[in-house]
Amino acid sequence: MHEAPPGAGEPPLRSTPASERLRRALSWPPLRITAIYAACAITWIVLSDRVAEALGGSGHGLLYHTGKGTLFVAVTSALLYVLVDRRERTLLALSDQVRATIDGMADAVLLVDERRGVVDANRAAVELLGVGSRDDLLVSADAWIDRFELRTPAGAPVEHDRLASARALGGERVAAYEAIARRGDGRDVFLSITASPVVVQVGRARLAVTILRDVSAARRLEELRDEFLSTAAHELKTPLAVIKAYAQLLQKRETVAGQGLVVIQRQVDRLNALVQRLLDTTRLRLDAGGGHPERFDLGAVVEEVVERARPSAPAHALSVCCPSPAPIVADRARIARVVSSLVENAVRFSPAGGPVAARVEARDGQVVVSIADRGLGIPPERQARIFERFYRAHSGTPQDYGGLGLGLELSREIVVRHGGRMWFESVPGAGSTFFFSLPLAAEAGA
Amino acid sequence: MSRGVLVVEDDPDLLALMEMILQDAGHHVRTAPEGRAALARVAEEMPGVILLDMRMPGMNGWEFAREFRARHGRASPIVVVTAAENAAARAAEIGAEGWLAKPFDVGDVLSAVAHHLDRAG
Repeated sequence: MHEAPPGAGEPPLRSTPASERLRRALSWPPLRITAIYAACAITWIVLSDRVAEALGGSGHGLLYHTGKGTLFVAVTSALLYVLVDRRERTLLALSDQVRATIDGMADAVLLVDERRGVVDANRAAVELLGVGSRDDLLVSADAWIDRFELRTPAGAPVEHDRLASARALGGERVAAYEAIARRGDGRDVFLSITASPVVVQVGRARLAVTILRDVSAARRLEELRDEFLSTAAHELKTPLAVIKAYAQLLQKRETVAGQGLVVIQRQVDRLNALVQRLLDTTRLRLDAGGGHPERFDLGAVVEEVVERARPSAPAHALSVCCPSPAPIVADRARIARVVSSLVENAVRFSPAGGPVAARVEARDGQVVVSIADRGLGIPPERQARIFERFYRAHSGTPQDYGGLGLGLELSREIVVRHGGRMWFESVPGAGSTFFFSLPLAAEAGA
Repeated sequence: MSRGVLVVEDDPDLLALMEMILQDAGHHVRTAPEGRAALARVAEEMPGVILLDMRMPGMNGWEFAREFRARHGRASPIVVVTAAENAAARAAEIGAEGWLAKPFDVGDVLSAVAHHLDRAG
């Protein structure tokens, strides 16, 4: 293959970015061609007569001038041919390379011109849409809507002005959005579409490049995930519901077995909390959504959670200090789970009992919740990892009080997804304080 | 007087248990293991409240709720009994009047039923 002249001898491709090669190929050779041509012409003018004289041909006749001129044209034409041919081959090589690159891409690429016609498409586009050849795709972008039955995920036809390519031609960068298309073979394919305007320096053409990615597999996985979570919850919780309710009924009737039945209920609640945490982790891990946001007072939730924890922590002095209302907009159930997870940890890791103090402080547009215990504290060398999933700071120590190692990781994830953060202070032997902050909601009615 | 409770639940143990809880509290209870049988019970006599499991073989809770609303409108309130993470949202999805999250407290079942029967008059 032909290398760009200035790059000759260099290692191929890796050393020179394609754009640079293109720039060189386009800007250097014309200058070179002109320079070489000019140098040859001047040399000819200066030397031709002298050389002829020296060779003894002193004639200045018509034949002499015609011969000299013809020779000049022949030599410079050959020179021009070599130079132009070389430049052309370089450009062709580069264009081939760009073509091969685009065809080699796994994602479908379409080029749309300012009249909204699809003027180019790569091989992946042909495969993705299941058409016979590239030419089947080279129709107007608007015709695509009918031809491939472009629909939104909800099933409504895509509006012409909402076409990614139309918006990109208007100068907008269209971030990934999803649409469904019907392939040539009748199968539906789920697409993630992005588009951006193409800035062309030469010729001022207005173009848009649209990239289609097949996300059908991810979509199917998402549906399976929802199905799985729903089934898992149902399968795991129905037996718990039966056991718990029977224990409650028996407790009312059988005073003798009462204590055992209380324990059964407590263990069911514990099992239920673990099931819930596993499900939450799975869901959150696979789910980009923000849950079900509503407006509520975080202080009230902290109080509720602490009240609920009180019966199962008889050796601890649980307190809540809520000086001001703290309205937030968030998924109430998930935030309650964060607080309850922190309170549970505080109780679990202060086995000798003692105070567990919750505080809620609202200021500067943020609300900060802290849960402080005077328990074991976290060994300094383990502090860096406590937010990792499955990591348990006390595992393998005499103070291993169990747990799945999911609570803190899940809690932080929930807080972060609500635009907040979580941190802690801990001194071994003196206790830990966990904090999280969330943005306060705007005034009601705003 | 109370028009009674219809419990729609496929798990026989849970069904028997809910039947017992409600009968002990003096309610007239009828049961159905899935949606189609539940529609037949409803056709015989409109219950005062329906306790509805969502995931059942045969006709599931979603289909039952849709069919029930189409045929009978809001003739009877529906209380969804679900293991789903967000029971309230699940209930809203099918336009149910109430929900119970599994595992529930016996007291919560009784108060939910009493609440809806009261409202129905």
